[in-house]
Amino acid sequence: MADQIILRNVTKKFTTKTLGDIVAVDNFNLQVHEGECFSFLGPSGCGKSTTLRMIAGFEDLTEGEIELCGRLVSSSRKNLYVPPEERGLGMVFQAFAVWPHMNVFENVAFPLRIAKVNKTDIDRRVAEALHHTSLTGLEKTFPGDLSGGQQQRIALARAIVTNPKVMLLDEPLSNLDPKLRETMRFEIKALQRKFNFTIIFVTHDQSEAMAISDRMMVCDMGRIMQIDTPENLYNKPCNRFVHNFLGESTFIRVVVKDGRAYPAGHMDQALDVAVPKDAADEMVVATRPNEIALTGPCEGGFASRIEKRIFLTDRTEYLIPVGDQLLKVQTPHRITFSEGEACCVHFTEPMWYPADDEEAEKERARRQLV
Amino acid sequence: MANVKFENITFRYGQNTVLNNFSLEVESGKIVCLVGPSGCGKTTLVRSLLGLGKPETGTITVGERCLFDAKRRINVPAEKRNIGIVFQDYAVWPHMTVIENVSYPLKKQRRPKEEIHRRAMHALEQVHMTEYANHLPNQLSGGQQQRVAIARAIVVDSDLLVMDEPITNLDAKLREEMLLEIRMIQKRLGATILYITHDQQSALQLCDKMAIMEQDGTLCQYGTDEEIILHPANRFTFEFIGVSNFLPVVAAADGPALDCGTLFPYAGEVPPEALRGGFELGVRPNDVVFDKDSPIRAKVDSRVFLGSEYNYFLSLGNRQIRVQQSMLDARQRGTAAEGDEVGIRFLNTRFYPAKKGGQAA
Amino acid sequence: MSMRGHSGVSAELAAVDGRRRINMDKVMTGICFVLLLIIVVIPIVMIIYNAFFNEGRLEIEMFRTQMTDSKNLDAMFNTLKIAIGATVLGTIMGVFYAWLLGRSDIPAKGLMRALFNIPYMFPPFLGAMAWDMMFNGRSGYINKWLASVFHLESMPININSVWGIIFVEVSYYFPFVFMQVVSALERMDPTLEESARIAGARQHQVIWKITLPLVKPAISAGALLILTTSLAHFGVPSILGYAKGIYTLPTRIYAVIYNSGGSFDGIRQGAALSVMLVIVVSLALILQNRILSAGSYDIIKGKSMRPTLIKLRGAKIPLFLLAIFTLVLIVIVPLVMIVLISFLKAYGLPLQFKNFTLAQYQKVFSANGTIDSIRNSLFASITAGVVCMFLGTLVAYVVQKIRPKGKEVLEVVSMLPYAIPGTVLSIGVILAWSGRIFGINLYNTIWIILVAYLARYLSFSMKTSSAALLQVHSSLEEAARVCGASHTEGLADITLPLIRPAMVSGFFLIFLPAMREVTTSILLYGPYTRTLGVQIYSLRDAGMIPQAAALATVAIGIIIVLNTIVTHVTKDRKGV
Repeated sequence: MADQIILRNVTKKFTTKTLGDIVAVDNFNLQVHEGECFSFLGPSGCGKSTTLRMIAGFEDLTEGEIELCGRLVSSSRKNLYVPPEERGLGMVFQAFAVWPHMNVFENVAFPLRIAKVNKTDIDRRVAEALHHTSLTGLEKTFPGDLSGGQQQRIALARAIVTNPKVMLLDEPLSNLDPKLRETMRFEIKALQRKFNFTIIFVTHDQSEAMAISDRMMVCDMGRIMQIDTPENLYNKPCNRFVHNFLGESTFIRVVVKDGRAYPAGHMDQALDVAVPKDAADEMVVATRPNEIALTGPCEGGFASRIEKRIFLTDRTEYLIPVGDQLLKVQTPHRITFSEGEACCVHFTEPMWYPADDEEAEKERARRQLV
Repeated sequence: MANVKFENITFRYGQNTVLNNFSLEVESGKIVCLVGPSGCGKTTLVRSLLGLGKPETGTITVGERCLFDAKRRINVPAEKRNIGIVFQDYAVWPHMTVIENVSYPLKKQRRPKEEIHRRAMHALEQVHMTEYANHLPNQLSGGQQQRVAIARAIVVDSDLLVMDEPITNLDAKLREEMLLEIRMIQKRLGATILYITHDQQSALQLCDKMAIMEQDGTLCQYGTDEEIILHPANRFTFEFIGVSNFLPVVAAADGPALDCGTLFPYAGEVPPEALRGGFELGVRPNDVVFDKDSPIRAKVDSRVFLGSEYNYFLSLGNRQIRVQQSMLDARQRGTAAEGDEVGIRFLNTRFYPAKKGGQAA
Repeated sequence: MSMRGHSGVSAELAAVDGRRRINMDKVMTGICFVLLLIIVVIPIVMIIYNAFFNEGRLEIEMFRTQMTDSKNLDAMFNTLKIAIGATVLGTIMGVFYAWLLGRSDIPAKGLMRALFNIPYMFPPFLGAMAWDMMFNGRSGYINKWLASVFHLESMPININSVWGIIFVEVSYYFPFVFMQVVSALERMDPTLEESARIAGARQHQVIWKITLPLVKPAISAGALLILTTSLAHFGVPSILGYAKGIYTLPTRIYAVIYNSGGSFDGIRQGAALSVMLVIVVSLALILQNRILSAGSYDIIKGKSMRPTLIKLRGAKIPLFLLAIFTLVLIVIVPLVMIVLISFLKAYGLPLQFKNFTLAQYQKVFSANGTIDSIRNSLFASITAGVVCMFLGTLVAYVVQKIRPKGKEVLEVVSMLPYAIPGTVLSIGVILAWSGRIFGINLYNTIWIILVAYLARYLSFSMKTSSAALLQVHSSLEEAARVCGASHTEGLADITLPLIRPAMVSGFFLIFLPAMREVTTSILLYGPYTRTLGVQIYSLRDAGMIPQAAALATVAIGIIIVLNTIVTHVTKDRKGV
């Protein structure tokens, strides 16, 4: 597969009056393949939106270059900058950005009219785009009379009507209610299969990103953390930030002694986990609350008791003391323990992170506050 | 003691009957969540309790004190009811500082200055807002404003606190924090908290007991979270509280079967009344597990990885069912790919009469 | 269930509370109806009655003569010509500068924005005076200078023409459009424009096809404001056109009454002309409602993001200079001119230092009635401001919170004077309060001016208080009730403090224009009840131009001081 979007050493610096220079995007390198659905994921201020806006051409870059479909569109070295209207992209925005003074047909026909396509072709192509977004019959309606989901469909129809190779989606589902979000996700994927464009999908919602992407980039504070498939990112996160950011996590600080791991503050019972050879004296064991198996008291594993039980709509959450910490475990409703009941905790393939990550984590939290 | 008793409350807006002969008794010293879809009348009920709305019939008592009785023409005005309230939009007065906001109820009780200050500061302490005492509300974040609203509600030591969707306007992370905070405050004060929400999740996380109201304003179930989750009284509760699949059950020649266009023999236990026809089997998506030996064969339409789980849509005959497979399960039993045929088994099943008219998805 | 649905919260509370509250609500409602009847309804009824009835009999004849009088028809034609001209040009100018400041990278935006709002502050008739001094068709200073430099036979520019009037009105009214459009551009979601770029549109295509159509509601709102204001405007056409025989309907009404020496017949003719003017203005207002209700859409959503500014590149400096030039021309030049003339020993002398003196200031302040006029203006405008502030808030509260039956009537009646030109209102007030009803005769007293101001400005405070009350969510007052406050206490502790800033700005919204008012008072003043505006106008009318300029300078000084105080007072608002 050819690389359709290539970012080389892309850096973006802003100068603000109050905070001085800010490196919003720090040396991004990435390739997005043709026909791929690629997500930019990260907390707010991580640089994902700025990167997208540089690809779209709304922001110029400070350093580096961007290549779209084999064509250089931004380059600091060559002092080259192609304006957005010449990049041949489709884009859908968070706030829909459908034009309230045009009816549905005119909204979708706009890109074709600008490109001076003849009238019969416009009619045909708009009808087709509306058909694929289930908007047929609403041609004469104005966006103000339509629901959020329908408005976002107009935006999609307008984006696909020019048949672009690359589609940029900037948090397109955030303004919709949860149920609609899921349906729209399927529709976007269906459109991609049909029209075979490459998607860049920006979101801060990790489950949405995982559901839709072939590959994704997780970034934080202007730096790329990891690029991989959703499954690999979830199962083999490269650091504690990625682990914590994707899905739910539960962490236990441990002290490693004689090849066994003891939860901090509790040296009489070791966890039933295999300790990696290169483990330092103090480590953090990370796992997912729903990957911990919970059994009755006499079946091996780490013996403890249920401190607290919380019913959630689709699962039960237990807080279980492990050393001086509380471990979060989630099970389906059918597995029931009551508060105070003895139980055994079994870890399945946990991840190990250096303990000093703890400090980095605190630093992160502090920086986010500032 | 502040047990709250609603008896035979009827409330109309013009032609529209919101509550019809509604009764509910809430125990003292508990957090009780009033949950229901929007428009079910829960806010109307609470406004009647506060004295901001006047029901047509019925009585409302808090502890020994009768606040409203339609027959005896008792209607204690709002300002004399002594109930703390936290509104969804905070309702913190923007022209008063934090401490002025919190002091206001005490001022209205004409307490001595020194006492007002001491108690207001104490209330702010409870919500960790002492350092913001002299800030104006517009200098605070949404979460902080809501804390001020809570402090204002608890400052008079009322033994009944009402919270009307207090966390709806906050972001997800803050919501969790506020829930914990509310729980801690309740523990310290021992007050009864009546908490109104349309969000089952936060209700489950917070409450000692839940009252689930149906769309038409009737009380559907009242019980602990355990009762509601593990023993939903009826189909509405079961559907309202989580995602569910429903499959029609019929009595076939050789025992119970699931009727999905074609008949699938069902080996699990079925209560006899469910076989009389018109019943459906209800099952949660995470109670559907793969079992290659099961005679119930389905085709995988789609598989989506959501991080903590795989989400499948399966076709079972002419029905589509939803399956959530946790990562633990996926590791133990393996996953299925799109287009695969799989055998499935249902755990933790329930049987309810089918809804009239529509097919359950 | 949303609490916004409970619009009648107060009424509901009243029912819960028992009898006492019901009475208080009713008392408030009653007061509103009675006061509006006296202040607004009676004068309006009097105009219509007198236009068609004489001594109790229907008499169409007079009305018909007036309607077919060629002078009146000319005046009507001029009124329309000026209003349409001012609207078209003012709109173009307003939109152009709004776009320049809202979307381009032109420098010194904050400063320019502040300066562009200045014309809004000053009474246009002072501007007209200044322009008349410069470009009077016979004796304008700049005209004379140009003629001597270029050896012209006649004066090059004649401001005493329809086009001159249009020019001066444009320079004072374009901020109506400018301010509306600038704020619309600022609130507009930038992704609406960005998505057009992505769709392949170039910058200029985006402006024409997306940006302008989207701010069209703001443009039409501003344009119609210019149209209605210009239709009813008295000051500029009277100063620039009167002497040349160019009449508009408002100046014609004034002339008819003035020439008849204030006789009842003259006033009746004025009433007939007023009906004509009201019809024209009403048509414009109907048009306004049509257009505004048709084209209102929501362009403010999404994350707040600064719009990408369009680089003007080469055009940047020329456009910047153009903007500066415009500002100097419409703001600075007239001001300087008035101040310079105020120092002249006599009007017509060359503007040289040796001809300067402070004597005019001395004269004007020792002249008959100057001090009185300042005192009268202060009294009438402060009183009108305070009374309207409370009355407007009362009406707003009744309409928004108590919501009695007939609240629509209250709303319409209180907004009615807004649609009625000041000149017309004056005639109504004269007809109503010069002894014809219950023998109450206020004519020639300051009270008749005050009554007219109340009618004219009530809608201003009612509007601001209404908007503020709408912002006070009912849960704020309810929270107070639950905290132990009675209804009255809740009102006093919560609602009133919250709308206090709005009430204060409502006061200034009345006080400032009333201070410089001339349209209404010119028909109502008596020998001892001139207002500041009337005094300047009469000084000028009497040919004492430098004295008029001196008093105008003082007036401008007062306005600047007051405005500074206003910005200071309303700057840090605690309320909604």
